[in-house]
Amino acid sequence: MSLNDRISDDILRSVEKPARYTGNEWNVVQKDVNNIKIRFAFCFPDVYEVGMSHLGMRILYHLINEREDSWCERVFAPWVDMEEKMRENGIPLFALESHDPVGIFDFVGFSLQYEMSYTNIINMLDLAGIPIRTADRTEEHPFVCAGGPCSCNPEPLAGIIDFFILGEAEEVINEVLDIYKEWKENGAAREDFLDRISSVEGVYVPGFYDVQYNGDGTVKSVNPIKDKYPRKVRKRIVKDLDNVYYPEKVIVPFTDIVHNRLMLELFRGCIRGCRFCQAGFIYRPVREKNPEKLVECAKKLEESTGYEEISLASLSTSDYTGLGELTEQLIEEMEPRKVNLALPSLRVDSFSLNLMEKAQKVRKSGLTFAPEAGTQRLRDVINKGVTEEDLINSVSIAFAGGWSTVKLYFMLGLPTEAFEDIAGIADLGKKVVDAYMNTPKEKRGKGLKVTLSTSSFVPKPFTPFQWEAQDTIEVLVEKQKFLKDNIKSRYITYNWHEPELSFLEAVFARGDRKTGEVLIKAWEKGCKFDSWGDHFKFEKWIEAFDECGVDPAFYANRKRNHDEVFPWDHIDMGISKKFLLKENERAYKGELTSNCRVGCSGCGAAAFGSSICIKND
Amino acid sequence: MNGLRIKFLRGEEVKYISHLDLMKVFERALRRARLPVAYSQGFNPHPEMIFGLPLSVGVTSEAEYADFGLEGNVSPADFMRRLNAQLPAGLKVLEAKKKFAKDNIMASITMASYRITVSAEGHFDREFLQEKINDFIERPTIIVKKETKSKVRDVDIKPMIHQLCLGDSEEGTFTVNSLLSAGSSANLKPELLYDAFADTFGPGIKLKAIHRTGLFVSRNGVMVDPMDDRVLEGTNPKR
Repeated sequence: MSLNDRISDDILRSVEKPARYTGNEWNVVQKDVNNIKIRFAFCFPDVYEVGMSHLGMRILYHLINEREDSWCERVFAPWVDMEEKMRENGIPLFALESHDPVGIFDFVGFSLQYEMSYTNIINMLDLAGIPIRTADRTEEHPFVCAGGPCSCNPEPLAGIIDFFILGEAEEVINEVLDIYKEWKENGAAREDFLDRISSVEGVYVPGFYDVQYNGDGTVKSVNPIKDKYPRKVRKRIVKDLDNVYYPEKVIVPFTDIVHNRLMLELFRGCIRGCRFCQAGFIYRPVREKNPEKLVECAKKLEESTGYEEISLASLSTSDYTGLGELTEQLIEEMEPRKVNLALPSLRVDSFSLNLMEKAQKVRKSGLTFAPEAGTQRLRDVINKGVTEEDLINSVSIAFAGGWSTVKLYFMLGLPTEAFEDIAGIADLGKKVVDAYMNTPKEKRGKGLKVTLSTSSFVPKPFTPFQWEAQDTIEVLVEKQKFLKDNIKSRYITYNWHEPELSFLEAVFARGDRKTGEVLIKAWEKGCKFDSWGDHFKFEKWIEAFDECGVDPAFYANRKRNHDEVFPWDHIDMGISKKFLLKENERAYKGELTSNCRVGCSGCGAAAFGSSICIKND
Repeated sequence: MNGLRIKFLRGEEVKYISHLDLMKVFERALRRARLPVAYSQGFNPHPEMIFGLPLSVGVTSEAEYADFGLEGNVSPADFMRRLNAQLPAGLKVLEAKKKFAKDNIMASITMASYRITVSAEGHFDREFLQEKINDFIERPTIIVKKETKSKVRDVDIKPMIHQLCLGDSEEGTFTVNSLLSAGSSANLKPELLYDAFADTFGPGIKLKAIHRTGLFVSRNGVMVDPMDDRVLEGTNPKR
């Protein structure tokens, strides 16, 4: 009986949102397996609606499918109701296009977008009938690979993933597939393939590296087991974004997904260098796409999908040099087609408000700002080049333009944070309320609503704060309470994140290979979908740490010495440790560092030869 | 206004799409086909498009209808051809005609017919099945619990069942054909009918599939196909 028959109507009728599992969407790629040499299962360790909203997956899906010898299919984590049915009926994890079991594929590739999806990776491998540990896989199993931002510290997954692709995968993936085809034809051993790809720049095979620890549990050294493997594995980037592959068609889902619109990628990297932000460093250097090319691309995508909305995707869209030109042209092209332009949160000034008015035709939805910290002192520590004056100016312009809903995002637990800084958050909220009250009644919109939202700071690798301790859960809870008590205005609502999840995120963001066993143990105890509130079982996690003899506080709450060897020190994301350390020291002095456009701060990414770095030289 | 009515089928491939999502599928197909459909005014322009009776998730149909407002000129044949080229597998326009009548499809539906496929443990002979159906339909009232947003209430569905007869039967499965009230004034979902039927039938049967075979509008008290020229011309001389 084929899998198609086994995924019966009985099962699909009994689960939530069955269209997650049926496939056949518009622009889906179907191929004849008889003409295919390589089958690639692109796995997203979350549900369909989340995975389908991810731009990287959409690009790589079509990129691999451009190859005549390969067929890339999509795989998402089945929701718990479907998983239960699958296990009950002996249905293995299947790919959406063919409904074939993932275990028969050549490659199973995971996208690592957030640490708290790691248990879903283990669960998906198990559902696929693929051994969880690399060591247990044989010639009959697929190669399990992974990429995405979290792979900049791949160590917690070193025992689970056969190889990682560091940085941007567009070029690497094709090189890996070419080598695979050759390897498969020669019928060599499994390790031989890993050996061959280890020389491809951007490929990291954790099994080829040996980790030694000090008596105190910190890493002593990470060394390749053979001299021919690189001592440091460097990420890959695509130099010329104007000529890089970008699909002219994307899949149009049948059900609503989180970002159900066309996404135009304007540039990669970020010029800002906010000291807590991993994305701001690991995607460097900044490379922009040409506005004319983007408009052409938008037109083709609109024609092939029929989507009614286009959004601009990038880390800090306001920093795109051609933003004015691009939006003007896009609106001109898309208005007659009845296609909306959705703008992401822009840095608010009169220019961007003007833009928003044009793009959204005065639908005054809420505005979002991210000052991140409550006082100028702390904003300088994190290198967030925003002043209180900027913020109050921006909201005043917005209020005068008729807006009345404002959201402000902050972080609690930033390095050097004192209670004055937290009181500063409440203060800033109050000043925003005052700015509204100072706006003439006839101009401002009705029903002021200010939302203050705090997340907990998570120190991440490849940031100037990678040495820092995270506040303990108790301290974070106390800080949240303090802030709550300091908010007096009835116009202000306060939202906060659960610190337990941030604590685990901090453990695995800077985890070593020992934490990998905890992931497996936690999964055995039923942990999965950890970032889905209802399914987060913190006490199970604590049990797992206990049973593995791993102290989570060692990873989350410990301040590191400047000379400590990190588990990820053999990974080269193009940012030098020396630069990060210098930035760390500047943070403590409250010194700002200029953005890439104003002047080069010497982060190391210039080695990739992007135009923004060369201009600065 | 310049309008069109289409009849389309909804197959196995797309039966798990909700009604709301199906409208999005059509909206995007219309855009891709660059058909001159009229759009509403406002911040969020929507195509003028009205569907007949929504189908439950999991139900297939060979008789779905939709009305479209047009902004420019396009022949029904052209509309059908261009739209079909942009519809995903499982959706197919079978017929398109100009519509002059004001009444929209959603407001004018009064009846729907369904083929309900039942899987049975073992074999039931036709006489037995016929008898079961007769027993069911000959009851003076057929009371079912109907859930609304806030409460559960008892409803007599018997007046909404206009026909109920045995279709095919073979080892392990049989079908029941039904004609039920549909639309805004009285509406009986086939799932509800099946549940009531299964309750009186007793153990040994399970719902396998529901397929909509027809939707009808009423014209001078007579049941008519929504694609009927008289319906579309709107020359209905009301009394």
